[in-house]
Amino acid sequence: MSADAGTGSPKQRTDNRTRRHAPDWSGRLAERWRGIGLSLVVVVATVWLGVTGQLGLYIHPRYFGFTLVMAALGLVFVVASFVVPAPATGQSRSPRRNTLALVGSAVLLTVAAVAVLMVPPATLTSATATQREVNSGGLDTAEAADQAATLVGTGDYERLSVKEWVSLLAQSDDPALYTDKTARVTGFVLPDASDPENVFYVARFVVTCCAVDAQPIGLPVYQPGWSNSYNTDDWVEVTGFFAANPSATSTNTLAVQPSTIESVDQPSDPYVY
Amino acid sequence: MHRDRGTVRRVPTGLILGVVLVALAFLVRALSPAFAGWGLPDRAQDTVTLALSVIIESAPFVFLGILLSTVVQVWLPHGFLTRFLPRQPLLRRASISLLGMFFPVCECGNVPLARGFMVGGFTVPESITFLLAAPILNPITIITTHHAFGFDDGILVTRIVAGFVIANVIGWLYSRHPDPDSLLTPDFAASCARPEQDGHEHDHPHPPAAGRMQKSVDLFARETAVIMPALFVGSLLAALTQVFVPRSVLLALGSNPVWSVLAMMALAFIVAVCSNVDAFFVLSFGSTFMPGGIAAFLTFGAMIDVKMLALMRTTFTTRTLVQITALVALMSAAAGLLVNYVG
Repeated sequence: MSADAGTGSPKQRTDNRTRRHAPDWSGRLAERWRGIGLSLVVVVATVWLGVTGQLGLYIHPRYFGFTLVMAALGLVFVVASFVVPAPATGQSRSPRRNTLALVGSAVLLTVAAVAVLMVPPATLTSATATQREVNSGGLDTAEAADQAATLVGTGDYERLSVKEWVSLLAQSDDPALYTDKTARVTGFVLPDASDPENVFYVARFVVTCCAVDAQPIGLPVYQPGWSNSYNTDDWVEVTGFFAANPSATSTNTLAVQPSTIESVDQPSDPYVY
Repeated sequence: MHRDRGTVRRVPTGLILGVVLVALAFLVRALSPAFAGWGLPDRAQDTVTLALSVIIESAPFVFLGILLSTVVQVWLPHGFLTRFLPRQPLLRRASISLLGMFFPVCECGNVPLARGFMVGGFTVPESITFLLAAPILNPITIITTHHAFGFDDGILVTRIVAGFVIANVIGWLYSRHPDPDSLLTPDFAASCARPEQDGHEHDHPHPPAAGRMQKSVDLFARETAVIMPALFVGSLLAALTQVFVPRSVLLALGSNPVWSVLAMMALAFIVAVCSNVDAFFVLSFGSTFMPGGIAAFLTFGAMIDVKMLALMRTTFTTRTLVQITALVALMSAAAGLLVNYVG
């Protein structure tokens, strides 16, 4: 909003300067400030997310440095374009196209400013998770498996994360391996599509690049009637041990039998990498 | 003296205006969570989150592309790049398809860069070759693909070879076009023609640095005016398809040698992941899909996807993009099928 309202002043400036020479000031105005306005919105949002530690809601940490450096450079160019006078070049177009350009740019800039600068940052929800297959495989990276193997070696199973458990389960779902082991994991509640009444996942999203490629992973938890106590998307910490999944329809052969399920706040880094 | 005073007076007004606007934007952003409870439905919220993640991920590459394009157009002597390229057209395009090795910008940044190349003297088919080859034939993409797949199933080799061949075949086809300028949007064709007129006005070999700074800033304004709206619209389209097209539909097709290729190409088209990280993304499908599907994903997706088409539409006509998309799709599918049936 503010960025849009703000471009009003340069509007008048350009307007006064060019009106006498060219009737198509509205098209030029749109051409000159549309990109700068959109860049301003993106750059400010990026820097703010970086400063407040929320950039991880959108992109993988390996891009933080590059993204922030380029955002800073972008900020320099945005400010510089207010300092440097606009050249009096540009194509002449029909008045209708010029008006269209101005209105289109104003609408785009307003929508962008609201979506990028005003909507509170958020993590992905179960709506996206249900569009994607949970534990679709391939997530058992060498690192996660090594880490898990090390932790399994120490017998400290409660420290294994959702991702590490999933990678262990991907290697073997032989119940004998898991019977005496306790899991304590944090994630959001996601119904198991094959038995939504009795089984839910303690789920996380794995992000490799940015949130667009987020893939849901999760440990199945057997708890008939869970939806009376928890909502989908609630963040919970589940403690329990693995056993053969009693559910008749669930595709998961093993499930956590919970001893406690506690509501927790959403962690500041909801995704895993 | 008089002129100095004029400059000093003009600079602060713009500077203050710019700084105030930036500060205002920060203020709005910082205060907005205070009116939490927007209560967006999950799907709408996720659409915003996904679109924003693509924008935040791609915008730095777009800026980098514009900066490199500015260096080529404003700071390097005219014709500097073309000077080192072979004159024979086939060899010339083959060299151009390797330029991505020196400009590892990612595909979104390649669009402004390719525009800069065209202004700087590349022919239309030459820039199409660059645009298609550079996302694959660049060090970051090759390293990440190797990291993800090693030399398994010929996926890496197929990607590199197919990327090179497809870019050059399409470049060759368009080099036979009688009127290559008609492939461009009228707006862009006009802006390609303009710098030459400018060149006559101030023809001295070393334009003053201040003039170049002004030109650079102006180029930033012009390029972002074209690319940023396309990036926003492309990201929104990518987010909407993610939220409303169930991915499980595609996954059901993974083990058939033909369908795995087509399904993975469709997936590549809608997810619009950057080419220098798509190998990690597709790694997770490695157990579900046949290697040919993976290879087709990595080849097709790097060149064409929903966001790229929005970006390329700034420069090329719809007709041209339909042709390029069809050609890339056919040849990527051929590469994928080759891997599945022969590899």
